[in-house]
Amino acid sequence: MEASVLRKQLNKWRDVARQLLGGKLGSLIESGRTDRERFSKSNSNPAVFWVLVRKEISDHVRSWRFILLLAIIFLTCIASLYTALNSLQDAINSQDGYSEFVILKLFTISDGTIPSFIGFVGFLGPLLGIGLGFDAVNSERNKGTLSRIMAQPIHRDDLLNAKFTASLFIIAFMFITLGLLVLSLGFVIVGLPPSLEELLRIFSFLIVTIIYIGFWLNLSILFSVRFRQPATSALASIAVWLFFSFFYDMILKLVSSGLAPDASTATVDDVVHHVDFMMNLSRLSPYTLFNEATSTLMMPTVRNLGPLTTDQIYGAIDSPLPFGQSLLLIWPQVVGLIALTLACFAISYVIFMRQEIRGRS
Amino acid sequence: MTRFLRNIKLTSLLLIFTLVVGPLLGVVPAHASGGVSLYTTYTSISVPPGESLNYNVELRNNTDSMVTVPLAIKDLPKGWTAKMTGDGWDLNEISVMPNTAQSISLAVTVPMQIDKGTYHFTLTAGSLASLPLTVQITEKGTYQTELTTDQANLEGHSDATFTYSVNLTNRTAEKQTYALTAQAEPGWDVTFSADGKQVSSVEVDPGASKAITVDIKPAENVTKGTFKIPIRAANQSTNSELVLEAAISGKYSLELTTPSGLLSTDVKAGGDKTVELQVKNTGTADLTDINLTSTTPSNWEVTFNPKTIDKLAAGKSTTVEAKITSSDKAIAGDYVTDMTAQAAEASATATFRVAIKGSVLWGWIGVLIILAIFGGIYVLIRKYGRR
Repeated sequence: MEASVLRKQLNKWRDVARQLLGGKLGSLIESGRTDRERFSKSNSNPAVFWVLVRKEISDHVRSWRFILLLAIIFLTCIASLYTALNSLQDAINSQDGYSEFVILKLFTISDGTIPSFIGFVGFLGPLLGIGLGFDAVNSERNKGTLSRIMAQPIHRDDLLNAKFTASLFIIAFMFITLGLLVLSLGFVIVGLPPSLEELLRIFSFLIVTIIYIGFWLNLSILFSVRFRQPATSALASIAVWLFFSFFYDMILKLVSSGLAPDASTATVDDVVHHVDFMMNLSRLSPYTLFNEATSTLMMPTVRNLGPLTTDQIYGAIDSPLPFGQSLLLIWPQVVGLIALTLACFAISYVIFMRQEIRGRS
Repeated sequence: MTRFLRNIKLTSLLLIFTLVVGPLLGVVPAHASGGVSLYTTYTSISVPPGESLNYNVELRNNTDSMVTVPLAIKDLPKGWTAKMTGDGWDLNEISVMPNTAQSISLAVTVPMQIDKGTYHFTLTAGSLASLPLTVQITEKGTYQTELTTDQANLEGHSDATFTYSVNLTNRTAEKQTYALTAQAEPGWDVTFSADGKQVSSVEVDPGASKAITVDIKPAENVTKGTFKIPIRAANQSTNSELVLEAAISGKYSLELTTPSGLLSTDVKAGGDKTVELQVKNTGTADLTDINLTSTTPSNWEVTFNPKTIDKLAAGKSTTVEAKITSSDKAIAGDYVTDMTAQAAEASATATFRVAIKGSVLWGWIGVLIILAIFGGIYVLIRKYGRR
């Protein structure tokens, strides 16, 4: 019902546009199309995609898995907010150059017992993404529902797109809610309104977080497309997550100690070169990219991510960077995260489109 | 008869001789009638007003009998005081043994307020002897206060402190307490000090004087010129005024700013930016050879055009272009760059806050990468999807 109404509306607009543009241009557009395009156009039904998205969202929201993940993240974030409020007094009095960003401090400081808000998000966010995506396709396949959906007049990629969009939508909704919750609680407890700069920083932090979790979501969807068993894809995703969260740093330390220039003979350039090289290696990890991006966004005094020479520090004022400059500083990291996310999506898309879909075998 | 006449003649001759020659010899056997004479060594002296004179007078009894005579001073000028003492006693009458002499101290005080001239008075011992004394007053005396200085005119810069040495002399008969005041223009600071302490009033004994130091600090915005500062030592009965002069030789002052007053700018890392500076001579004297220099973060460079200002008249300003070139390794954020305009007499520094902006080029490249990936996905959808 809804779909037909929409299609009528679309046809009406197309007719209006054709009239406005004139018959000549219209015929040009018409003649430029191939048969296949004409077929997919007449067969296209945008409403179907949103029906699928809506269904996926409702499935997720009602599942125990989502409620558990939500509870874990919600509790840890409240705990980190509590510790932040405990140590806020000291943090405001400290002379670290950004004492005026009180609301930002709520996200970044902790008293040492529990990690800060951004620490928790960087650590637990991937788990949420993995939890929402690891059985996206293979469970449907195992239940035999995949072929049933495919029997409907929908495009095959609509299914994958809808699964991705629905999960990303849930993640976005959840983290924006969480961020605003911390923001408003801090506002109520501290009594200071956030400045525009702080709001911009918090929102870009939330967007970077969503992109980051979107990467893990896509990775787990990729595994769910590739592996038949949900348990395998879940384990594979968690393995990657653990690798980048814990082991990658350790491995890098080993590599670093092996590659480090001899302390007695090394020049400053050698050392700087080595540190730069190790830093670039560690930036292969999305976890590092996310940490650099969020710490720069949430701590305005961070001016540089690499090693600094005294030449660069001499004459510099310890002042917070403007938001635009912070964003410019971490733009490569953000681009990297977006690229990783989209690359994972593209790979899973290609694999999914090439797979054979049969009935329950 | 003739003998008697001759006697008289002789006596008068002797008298005339003694009267005329006696002072010349400095010996006054005074009135020697009856063999009693008054004697003092210095009978005519010259003194300034306010002086105290002490005469040592001898009363000689040349007779064979004891003499008792009353002592008195006649024709003492108005305002003078005289006192006769012997052995610490005030004397009215004195007795002298035969053929002996008795010493008397005569203390005479000359008043302060007195005209220049010759004054006479006479010490008499009854009718038996008298001693005329002459006092010459060398100058016109004043019954007042004197405020004097050797050097009433000093010259210096506007930021110098002018120190004058002033003498306050009390030429009155009493001890006086003077209030010290100065009538300086607003903004000038005048302080008086005596005996190393800052004072607003001083006490001076009669006839004594006190050294007072006057420190004058000109007003902040003083211009070139000569300024008169009247100072005054006054109380209810007496006062004195002295005009001090301070010649200000001009003030050197320089200001470095920008036409808008904005002392911050931004520059790309490795890029340059030209800032217009304004050099202002805020002093009252001309400045020459003003050099422009800078203190920058390392590997930065600031070039000025022109590098030196040959002459800048008082109150005038000129603009200089400063080209700030940042190091290509500078990190985003704020740096401090000091620019200094320096003449021999004055200098001024402007502290610039230079914000380094990261290059936007990589930002756009990032956007292009993302667009390329989206394009790739679009191609994938076109290729595999919709079938």
